[in-house]
Amino acid sequence: MKIGIPRSLLFFYYYPFWEELFKELGIKVVVSDQNNERIMNKGVKYSISEICVPMKVYVGQVLDLVEQGVDLVYVPRIVSIQKDVTICPKFLGLPDMIKYSLEGMENRVLTHKIEQESDDISNWKDYQIFLEIFDISKKELKRALKKASEKWQEYRAMHRKGFTSDQLLEDVKRTPDTGDLTIGVLGYVYNVYDKFVNMDLLGKLREMNVNIVTFEMIDDEVIQREVDQFAPRKKMFWEFSNKLLGAGYHFLKSDEIDGVIHVTAFGCGPDSILGPFLDIDSDKYDTPFMTLRIDEQTGESHLLTRVEAFVDLLRLQKTKEARKCEK
Amino acid sequence: MKVSFPYMDNPVLYYKLLDLLGHDIIIPPRPTQHTINLGVKYAPEFACFPLKVLMGTYLEVEKMGADTIVTSGGHGPCRAGYYGKLHQKILDNAGLDVDIIVFDAPKDWRPFLQNLKKIKLDNSWFRVMSVIRTAYTLAHSMDRIEKLIHKNRAHTLEPREVSDAWEEIQQKYMGIENRQDIAAVEKWARERLAGLEYNFPTPDQRIKIGIIGEIYVVMEGSTNNDIEEMLNELGCEVERSHYISEYIDSHLVPWKWKEYQHILDKADNYLEIMIGGHAKRSIGHIVDYKERGFDGVIHLKPFGCLPELVSQSLLDRVSEDLDIPILSLSIDEQMAKANMLTRVEAFLDLIKQKKEEEIA
Repeated sequence: MKIGIPRSLLFFYYYPFWEELFKELGIKVVVSDQNNERIMNKGVKYSISEICVPMKVYVGQVLDLVEQGVDLVYVPRIVSIQKDVTICPKFLGLPDMIKYSLEGMENRVLTHKIEQESDDISNWKDYQIFLEIFDISKKELKRALKKASEKWQEYRAMHRKGFTSDQLLEDVKRTPDTGDLTIGVLGYVYNVYDKFVNMDLLGKLREMNVNIVTFEMIDDEVIQREVDQFAPRKKMFWEFSNKLLGAGYHFLKSDEIDGVIHVTAFGCGPDSILGPFLDIDSDKYDTPFMTLRIDEQTGESHLLTRVEAFVDLLRLQKTKEARKCEK
Repeated sequence: MKVSFPYMDNPVLYYKLLDLLGHDIIIPPRPTQHTINLGVKYAPEFACFPLKVLMGTYLEVEKMGADTIVTSGGHGPCRAGYYGKLHQKILDNAGLDVDIIVFDAPKDWRPFLQNLKKIKLDNSWFRVMSVIRTAYTLAHSMDRIEKLIHKNRAHTLEPREVSDAWEEIQQKYMGIENRQDIAAVEKWARERLAGLEYNFPTPDQRIKIGIIGEIYVVMEGSTNNDIEEMLNELGCEVERSHYISEYIDSHLVPWKWKEYQHILDKADNYLEIMIGGHAKRSIGHIVDYKERGFDGVIHLKPFGCLPELVSQSLLDRVSEDLDIPILSLSIDEQMAKANMLTRVEAFLDLIKQKKEEEIA
């Protein structure tokens, strides 16, 4: 049996977990291609026009996998990885959207609910459906999940050493950044690491000799502290928005971060709430903040112009401050 | 303390609730293009449409002198549950001194009671309970009349007269003090409506349309170009998936939840779990309308609405499976009446044709 995993959405957060899990269970996994024009066009064609670009990419990836001849596409329904906090409603309804809005997909989706109390999604209770489908014993499942969890923890530990997910997943050069400028790139993993949609934003920043910090590198406790301070009583409802919120406030307050770029998809609902808070407060902390909106029609020169201008501005500010100090 | 509140469908219920507690009230005006422009100016570009309209309303009532706004919240993952906090941030940033009191469904009682204390004034708790009961009865009574209007206005010679009567009825409801008054007004309202001229066709010739979708744009006529009136004028009976009394029963009154469960159950084949907002309910209502012999469904959602985008993705399939026409309209600050009317008329032509074919 061949299982397909779309290279989109939380792939960039959980792939090492899934890879190890299926490997341990002895199941062949096919990962869809890097997002490209063909996949994007397919996604745009088969989703409703108003939905955000990551969802369109996902649809394109699913269809691409089906064409590659996988038996089932793995579309977990990730509901919650923290008590009382869920993910965006579109994730909650994702398997339903794939099953019922794409023709012939109804019986080709491997889905199960993930509703756990921590980021480590290895509690076996959510995976019971695997026992029957793959004909394995409970013991085998638990052992595979344990291995997967370890692999994933390693992956997360590497983040904290300052590596971005694309460096870790693609085995590109893993040398620590040595730029003279540090920018906090704030965005969901599927926006930050989709090189096709964001026109290789990270690569462009690296070329400009900029160090990149993302939310995955920040300690959970720091994020949690910022979130608690922001909303002691009522957090936002969306897991990764809270993570970005915590990381965002940390970036704004930190002396080591020169500026923040918020990468958001056109029409993203949670970001429309999250963005204004950070935007308004960035003045208070005197940290430049730029919102970079991406969609399936993002133009490369437009994006490059904005990023270059932002980086120039940060460098200028930095030299001015340095001069002030000398005097 | 001068209190105001959001405007949805009509201001009567919120007004009476606060009025009976003895508050000094600023009644929010019905949203207009001005309200929307104001909201769009201050609210984030990609915020959903209801957030922008409410933003506009809050800025308007602030100008009229309100310093406190009472509103309802939610526990997500629909964005509406977080409106209060964002509105507050934007108002603070604009240097306006307005306090927004958000009532979340009482999952956690402490903040709920704290909020209640803020608006209770020096009423006894007994009085508060009695006011809540009166408001509850009021919501149900008004919705019975409104449902009657949505049905019967389709068959009058002068739909405008019915709409005028509805305005009059609402004014009467504004004056009630207790549950006896409500019963009297309801009786009067029924007589008032019965006194108009109707021309009822035979049941099989009636066209029935269900309106589903996001609660604010379904209920608030100023955002959806008064779609109920539009459909009534075109000769269709209308039923909405949201009435405020049903919202109260299905969200705030635990022992009434069961009565609404069957709607949700009907959506199980398409949406396994609750995903926030009213997405699952929307799908359930389509199934329910089909079973009750409706001829078509109109789906309304604000541009970019998270839960309703999921239900919209499923509409084609549901429509095909159930053989019921569905028109989905996305609503934002640029929705023009002529555009909507054209689409609705084309949709009704399709329905009429389908109906004729079925009869023949």
